[in-house]
Amino acid sequence: MVSRREDNTQRVHALDERAEGLRLKRGMGLADARAICPGIEVVEADPAADARLLSAIADWCDRYTPLVATDGMDGLFLDIAGCAHLFGGEEEMLAEVVGRLAAQGFDARGGIASTPGAARAAARYGLPPLPRGTEAAGLAPLPLAALRLEAATVRGLESVGLRSVGPVMRAARAPLARRFGRMLILRIDQAVGAVEEAISPRGPVAPLSVERGFAEPLSRLEDVERLVPMLAASLARDLERRGEGARRLQLVLFRADGAVSRLAVGTARPVREPRLVARLFAEKLKATGEEIDVGFGYDLVRLAALSVARLDPMQADLAEDGADGTDDVAFFADRVRARLGERALLRAVMVESHVPERAVLSLPHALQEPARTAASRPGPAERPIRLLTPPEPIEVFATEVPEGPPLNFRWRRATHRIARAEGPERIAPEWWREPAGAPSRDYFRVEDREGRRYWVFREGSYGAGTPMPRWFVQGFFA
Amino acid sequence: MAQEATARDVLSSLRRDIARVEGRLAETLVVRRHGAAAPDVLPLGAPRLDAALGGGLPAAGLVELHAAETRDAGAAAGFALALVALSRREAVGPLLWVATGEAFSEAGVPYAPGLAARFGVAPEALLTSAVRRLEDALWVAEEAAALGALRAVILEMREPAPRLDLTATRRLHRRAGGGGLPLYLLRQAGRPVPTAAPVRLVVAPAPAGERAMAAGTLEGSIGPPAFAVTVSRSRLAIPATATLEWNEHDHAFRERDPARAAHPGAVAALSGDRAHPARQAGAVVAFRGVA
Repeated sequence: MVSRREDNTQRVHALDERAEGLRLKRGMGLADARAICPGIEVVEADPAADARLLSAIADWCDRYTPLVATDGMDGLFLDIAGCAHLFGGEEEMLAEVVGRLAAQGFDARGGIASTPGAARAAARYGLPPLPRGTEAAGLAPLPLAALRLEAATVRGLESVGLRSVGPVMRAARAPLARRFGRMLILRIDQAVGAVEEAISPRGPVAPLSVERGFAEPLSRLEDVERLVPMLAASLARDLERRGEGARRLQLVLFRADGAVSRLAVGTARPVREPRLVARLFAEKLKATGEEIDVGFGYDLVRLAALSVARLDPMQADLAEDGADGTDDVAFFADRVRARLGERALLRAVMVESHVPERAVLSLPHALQEPARTAASRPGPAERPIRLLTPPEPIEVFATEVPEGPPLNFRWRRATHRIARAEGPERIAPEWWREPAGAPSRDYFRVEDREGRRYWVFREGSYGAGTPMPRWFVQGFFA
Repeated sequence: MAQEATARDVLSSLRRDIARVEGRLAETLVVRRHGAAAPDVLPLGAPRLDAALGGGLPAAGLVELHAAETRDAGAAAGFALALVALSRREAVGPLLWVATGEAFSEAGVPYAPGLAARFGVAPEALLTSAVRRLEDALWVAEEAAALGALRAVILEMREPAPRLDLTATRRLHRRAGGGGLPLYLLRQAGRPVPTAAPVRLVVAPAPAGERAMAAGTLEGSIGPPAFAVTVSRSRLAIPATATLEWNEHDHAFRERDPARAAHPGAVAALSGDRAHPARQAGAVVAFRGVA
């Protein structure tokens, strides 16, 4: 028995069959329940765990249809329009889903109808499947809770004597709307089918996917790896017919006991070749293979193209040796990103900013450049070849003149004596980003006695009312 | 007798194999770039170093650059970039810089504006890869070295790196040779350990030259960068040290004469009749950077 804290008392939240047999009811106080049956086992309710479980079951239902939505805390909507024939018909599909959930240990009830509202009512109240047009008749004997109304509306309707759905549907609509709001009318229309209602699926629906089921589940990841080229080949046929290539691919592995694993790879350019797709997934599996628990094996493997883009077929060349080098680099970048993560390979994009650390953006290789890129104008003269992010503080013991370069400094526990210096170059903070009064930086290029060249700056200046300026080293020159 | 002869044969063939593995045989790596064979050595432009290296650095394959301390990593990286610019392979593709994350956090990440100004590497032609583990960095470098479409690969790591043994470096060298591109291995802060790289140079910082003006040089200025390069390992095993100054306009090195060593401090100017490459090419009337 599951208990939940409600209004400062512990009340019964859910019961199993044996507890129901003892005539305990939901909402009863825990003390009363214990009085009736002292030896009962009580578990504290954990809504977060329940939500995760529901989400896992929804993942499992992905094998039937990609349009799965959650209904409250304990229900799921599945939109099976168009895929029921794959399972032998609508009723057979429902029987299979309920049966497999029962085999996993869940007590599930299902209902089929042509609108989500009617289907929900059919599931919760045990109605037979409702074909289109019979929703009104089918819902009529049900209590008002079947219409997904708020508790206040239900109490109001009961207070005027409308206790079930039938009379509510037959009553005049305008007075009902005036008294109880438009939501009531909307729910009635949705249940009957006069207003279209679509469920919002949990995730994006892939435009293309191919899948293969196995009577004997695959229990090794190497077999999955060998399967990917075959799936990619049939996906390539569909992509070729549409003239497109995939930019983002997802491999979904459905385990026999219900867990679902998803692996995604992205590419910079649309790709269609089964060989290339297989190679990308091979890298991904090598990188994440240890974390995937195969368990009892996978009985359904699906390869979906989550996002596609136009890919024109290229005429193959007779003298094929001088292939375009950039495709090689792009595919190499895709493989690196598949294996080591999205930010494993970055390219530098210049940005219009005079603050040094903001002048360059590092973007993953595939992303489009933002609109703020600088025109190809020669930048400021002397910039270091390596930049320390963030700048490291240094201690400066003496400067020649207060606003001048340091004579020596101490960095990482080593003292450096300066032989030559150039500067200062003043870089003021961007007034549109920093608050007023942010200190500006005076940059110096300094060279120490051994010949190392640093880029140091002093943040702030010496003055009567200002805090002591601080010195940092930000870069190294060749 | 026959056994002795066969034993001698076996021994000499083994010696030849070992010599080939160590790079002591006069093998030539034929570098293919888009079907045409390119010269396989890269002359540095410094007579003493080129003589010690047997003509120059290998144009494809593994070159090890060693920086004795972490704070010398700027000089070592600058030298590697100068070699990249010297090889004049801009048209091929981007430059890839792979490093472990701690190497970048200790010595700084590559900064695109500096690279563009000094070594002619455009920002869109710079790819950096910071990975967590050394094995991942080795994998990225190996895969990249096999691509011929990159300009060069710089692989940077800190010591100690026990994974970078003879086998790993031999694989890198093979792949880079097959791909036809140079792979510069930058090691920070350690003593040189045996690897399969045919050439190892130890790079240390050296005081920079002075800025060239229309009438002489600007006293106390910090001009073209300079590197103190020591040949630690090469095919000819001739030790040599030289100070090389990099000219960013010509993309060439110039060897600095040690008899007239640059001043250690900002006091006396260099003698006025020192031959200067800028003067040989013509007087510089304006230099970049004047806003």
